[in-house]
Amino acid sequence: MAKVLVIGAGFAGHTAALYLGDTLGKSHEITVISNRDVFGYVPSWVWVGVGHMKPEQTVFKLKPVYDRMNVKFVHAAAKEIHPDAGDQYVVGEEVGTGKEIRLDYDYLVIAPGPLLNFAGTPGLGPEGGFTHSICSLPHAMKARDAYLAQCERMKKGEKVKIVIGTGHPAATCQGAAFEYIINVHKDLLKKGLRDKADILWLSNEPALGDFGVNGVQVKRNGIVQKSEEFIKAVFNDHGIRYQVQTGVTKVEEGKIHWQNYEGEEGTTDFDFSMLIPQFKGQPFKYIGKDGSDISAKLVNPAGFVLVDGKYGLPYPELTQTPEAWPAQYNNPTYQNVFSAGIAFAPPGPISKPFTNKNNLAIAPAPPRTGMVSGVIGRVVAMNIADLITTGKMTHSERMTEMVAACIASMGDSLWDGNAVTIVMRPVVPDRKKYKNEYGRDLFISHLEMGVSGAWMKFMLHYTFIWKFKALLGWKLIPE
Amino acid sequence: MQNEQEFSKAEKFWMNFKLYQLWRFIVLNVKIYTIAVQSKWH
Ligand SMILES: Cc1cc2nc3c(=O)[nH]c(=O)nc-3n(C[C@H](O)[C@H](O)[C@H](O)COP(=O)(O)OP(=O)(O)OC[C@H]3O[C@@H](n4cnc5c(N)ncnc54)[C@H](O)[C@@H]3O)c2cc1C
Repeated sequence: MAKVLVIGAGFAGHTAALYLGDTLGKSHEITVISNRDVFGYVPSWVWVGVGHMKPEQTVFKLKPVYDRMNVKFVHAAAKEIHPDAGDQYVVGEEVGTGKEIRLDYDYLVIAPGPLLNFAGTPGLGPEGGFTHSICSLPHAMKARDAYLAQCERMKKGEKVKIVIGTGHPAATCQGAAFEYIINVHKDLLKKGLRDKADILWLSNEPALGDFGVNGVQVKRNGIVQKSEEFIKAVFNDHGIRYQVQTGVTKVEEGKIHWQNYEGEEGTTDFDFSMLIPQFKGQPFKYIGKDGSDISAKLVNPAGFVLVDGKYGLPYPELTQTPEAWPAQYNNPTYQNVFSAGIAFAPPGPISKPFTNKNNLAIAPAPPRTGMVSGVIGRVVAMNIADLITTGKMTHSERMTEMVAACIASMGDSLWDGNAVTIVMRPVVPDRKKYKNEYGRDLFISHLEMGVSGAWMKFMLHYTFIWKFKALLGWKLIPE
Repeated sequence: MQNEQEFSKAEKFWMNFKLYQLWRFIVLNVKIYTIAVQSKWH
């Protein structure tokens, strides 16, 4: 009987656990270790952050699902990974008791999502800083309270400055911040307060609509339309000001300090700000048999897990090498250690990186969205099942092959809500397969705004929670 | 878009015209499902 251990129960880890339980659960031991005993449907935290959805509608308990799927659940935070052959185990700390636990494994999936690196930008974040975040449920609730307090000020006639975007020169997840800014706009409009707010989009993207994926390009009536023009039209339509090519370096009370591509330093005042922090890997200790630190074999300096990608290629070469992107997501040294979701190390950026004259790199990191994380979780699970049953992996999917669909809602009303629907294939341009300057399938890639997007977003919330609860037909729903 | 930076009046009309949006809802669902489900074959 093989032992499979999954660290983390988010989009990647939970998807892997469901497929592992489904294929192996009855005859092998599948265990999930998670520091939270609930699954969090992260995309809907945007609505929590404006007070449009109750926090409890975005979470559900994991254990009852795992009980049905033949998966063991351990409510603990993983701390150490001991991957050397012969004695492979993870050390964790049980939540509540603080008791140290040891979990042995034959196959390990590292999927604990990002470490939100607020410390990377002095003054950033809701814990000891001056800005807000929607990257965790408690953060989204705090952001909601702070935002609603500003609404009260506006109701009294006061003018308020709102800044939303990225809080570090190398931050990612621009899509979530974009969705939040347009939800804030729509909410203020509904409350009759929009004229009281000055809203600014502040981001490290090389261009508006870049989203850390080099933008999205679609062909409509024979003309290539770019997300840059599309998002510009959205912001112009909504009266949202924008400033891109900007890396936030420090935050003080009511003041954001930044540098831009030209190397200029400047400040922006705010009353309420939601800025996405830099993401890093979780700070696990990787320990060898002799007790030595073997992190270099498993993770890059940012703590992301090294997998079967080709690392270290210069950006121009990387853009021409789709096969540099990992396919099976296992570590080359420890081949029974896999990683999925935000935790794995991408071989480099997707968007064009830039370093200004002060040597500050302003470059969005590649996003690993929910869909990407889920797909990788499934690929990893199916390969582990292959290895256990036949000894040979048969599944693979690179980000240069994956499709991503993102729906950025504007409000949650089914009558007058709106949403931008973005589809891109592939997520990472493949210039060998798609012979255009963008490296994308311009027919499949899609950009559209309309009420239908709002209906889709609403539907996705319930469909995915259904899937993640492993209810009837869950496998028919794509990741 | 009527120019590179603004939506035209006609575009805004279609964005909110519920019957057309119902059609788009069906088209988008079919499109996204069809391409997303292909991933399962990998
Ligand atoms: C506000 C917001 C909106 C978004 N909207 C969208 C969207 O509309 N569409 C989309 O595709 N993507 C969206 N994303 C991105 C998407 O949420 C992420 O890509 C996805 O959550 C990444 O999955 P993951 O499993 O890698 O990490 P996570 O979902 O963060 O899961 C990691 C899990 O590991 C657990 N964990 C952490 N540390 C430990 C430890 N030491 N031991 C054990 N467990 C641990 C965590 O508690 C968590 O449950 C959004 C992100 C945000 C922040």
